[in-house]
Amino acid sequence: MPRLKLKKKKKGKAVNGRKQELEEPSSLPPSLRMASGVPNYKIILCGEYGVGKSSIFRRFLNNTFTTENSKKSTIGLDQCTRPFTIGKAEVKLTLWDTGGMERMSFIGSSYYRGAHAALLCYNSNNKETFSILSQYILDIVMNAEGAKIFLCGNFADGEGKDKVEEADMDTFMSECEDVLSGVYDVSCKDNWGLQEMFEDMAKVLHTDAMNRATIRRDLIRPGETPELDEETQGKKRCC
Amino acid sequence: MDEKYDVIVLGTGLKECILSGMLSVDGKKVLHMDRNKYYGGDSASLTPLVDVFTHFNKPKTKEYGRERDWNVDLIPKFLMANGQLVKLLVHTGVTRYLEFKSVEGSYVYKDKDKKIYKVPADEREALGSSLMGIFEKRRFRNFLQFVQEYNEEDPSTWKGMDPNQSTAAQLFEKHGLDDNTRDFTGHAIALYLNDNYMAGPCKDLIRRCRLYSDSLARYGKSPYLYPLYGLGELPQGFARLSAIYGGTYMLDKPNCEIVYDETGKAIGVKDAEGVMAQCDAVVCDPSYAKEKCKVIGKVVRAICILNHPVNNTKDAASVQIILPQGQIKRKDDIYVCVVSDAHQVCAKGFYLAIVSTTVETGNPEAELQPGLDLLGAIEEKFVVVSDLMEPTDDGSTSKVFITNSYDATTHFETTCDDVVKTYKRITGQDFDFSKVKHTDESTGN
Repeated sequence: MPRLKLKKKKKGKAVNGRKQELEEPSSLPPSLRMASGVPNYKIILCGEYGVGKSSIFRRFLNNTFTTENSKKSTIGLDQCTRPFTIGKAEVKLTLWDTGGMERMSFIGSSYYRGAHAALLCYNSNNKETFSILSQYILDIVMNAEGAKIFLCGNFADGEGKDKVEEADMDTFMSECEDVLSGVYDVSCKDNWGLQEMFEDMAKVLHTDAMNRATIRRDLIRPGETPELDEETQGKKRCC
Repeated sequence: MDEKYDVIVLGTGLKECILSGMLSVDGKKVLHMDRNKYYGGDSASLTPLVDVFTHFNKPKTKEYGRERDWNVDLIPKFLMANGQLVKLLVHTGVTRYLEFKSVEGSYVYKDKDKKIYKVPADEREALGSSLMGIFEKRRFRNFLQFVQEYNEEDPSTWKGMDPNQSTAAQLFEKHGLDDNTRDFTGHAIALYLNDNYMAGPCKDLIRRCRLYSDSLARYGKSPYLYPLYGLGELPQGFARLSAIYGGTYMLDKPNCEIVYDETGKAIGVKDAEGVMAQCDAVVCDPSYAKEKCKVIGKVVRAICILNHPVNNTKDAASVQIILPQGQIKRKDDIYVCVVSDAHQVCAKGFYLAIVSTTVETGNPEAELQPGLDLLGAIEEKFVVVSDLMEPTDDGSTSKVFITNSYDATTHFETTCDDVVKTYKRITGQDFDFSKVKHTDESTGN
């Protein structure tokens, strides 16, 4: 019973107490825990061919990097699940790679189904891969309803003539900032920014899921929602 | 595109995508093209709804909820839970891209009282069903018991029948089953399209009955599964398999042409701009090599939008109804498949019912009437008659391997048979499932 009491207390200040609630594993809504075990969030990689989506995938998979320009190293592999700890809560992220289908054609609506998030990737040293992003955002919004969108600039280690400038970024953000849930710069080659990015995404996704669950828990449908009886009210008062 | 491939696959229908996946897994270099902008060819699910109207050249005058909630199959089929396609999905790992739900009910039409009945699938249900009279029920129960205990390897379970010599009709005769019971056993359980099986060996009938009951035993409710978002997800899943094993995909390639050498052997495929990709073999559906196919029949299908569940199905969100040919005085059965927003193929509150049969007369649409009558009020109806084609060339010298059109059956068993046979024609070997790596163990989980 103490667990239940704790949950009720948190519920009262859910709006401000978001973070604390996350750090308390027992605050997971029982339905979410029992039905599906540890929450698992599906993230799809999106972006032009050659921006390093598979490199990001490989960093996620086993933290390796390869300069070999062949598909052999990821053959048969396009999906990977890793556990993350947010406060005391256990969550899982499943990252999906495209399998190179976008090279010549549309990747297919099936890829987007049920995605909680899309990691939109571009090459920081190739403006073209950046300016086409709005097209990808449209695809994501159309095919993966409600998915959060994260922006990731790869090759942040490099210097090039065709570098995405701050001005480009500002223009893009003025148009798209409100659809983005996170913006990161990473380098797969030098292995920086990646683990932080995955962890931050896990946190954002889980926070969002918890908030939604909280909203649903607070819903009242007169006639169906059990009304407070004297016992629970008494308990509430003594807390 | 101007490269050399082992195999070029034309059309991204389910059969072609499974073959493409299998060949890529084998280590073949595969180029896979489609004339359409979308995956799936005839086995696509169309979305948004307005595309369905466009596809059938019909003006859209009414609103049916949110456009993008619709994923409308052009060819309706369900998966047998213990059938070949499910095995193929599991062996190849393609199952991880998909989610399924059980179909809620399996029904059969009885002409005598013009009603549909739940198909009794086990002994207990058989005894409780009002489909048969009291004595017939006992006979049917004995038949089901025989089927359950039958073992092809053990003659003592054959009970005096010879699986290869005795016919299906003789097996029914032995159990004293009447015509109605034979109709629904042969058509709603063994899922035969017509009565030709009666003269065939009874082991096939027994096997099919077992497939039904084994499928039913897996997830309950009915022996059928259906994927969320429609059947169009299936070819996409296998296309992904092909792609992660190195297959290259090109959509939106109209007017591709197979190029032959002077001996009539395929050597490549030329696109509309005249750029040619070379290959050792071509795999395609009949629409890409019509001159090497013949028409063996026609199928008529009516795709209907309803705003209510089908009567007498306990408001099931998904259901299959079979009208056996004997009950409606035809040579071929009529099939009704109903799906709804429970499978994410309709906007909320709507239902999709597809009625289909093999064409027997000059007025195909009228032939569907007994099935349409079961649906109640229909909001919108799209009728399409398609040719059933089969290749006249086995590909042994031309190296063009063509699949059959999708038949009128409501499940994927014949689809998989055709895939396995075509694979053998292409490679000369049976497909070895063990070659497909399971990726689960290497996901760092």
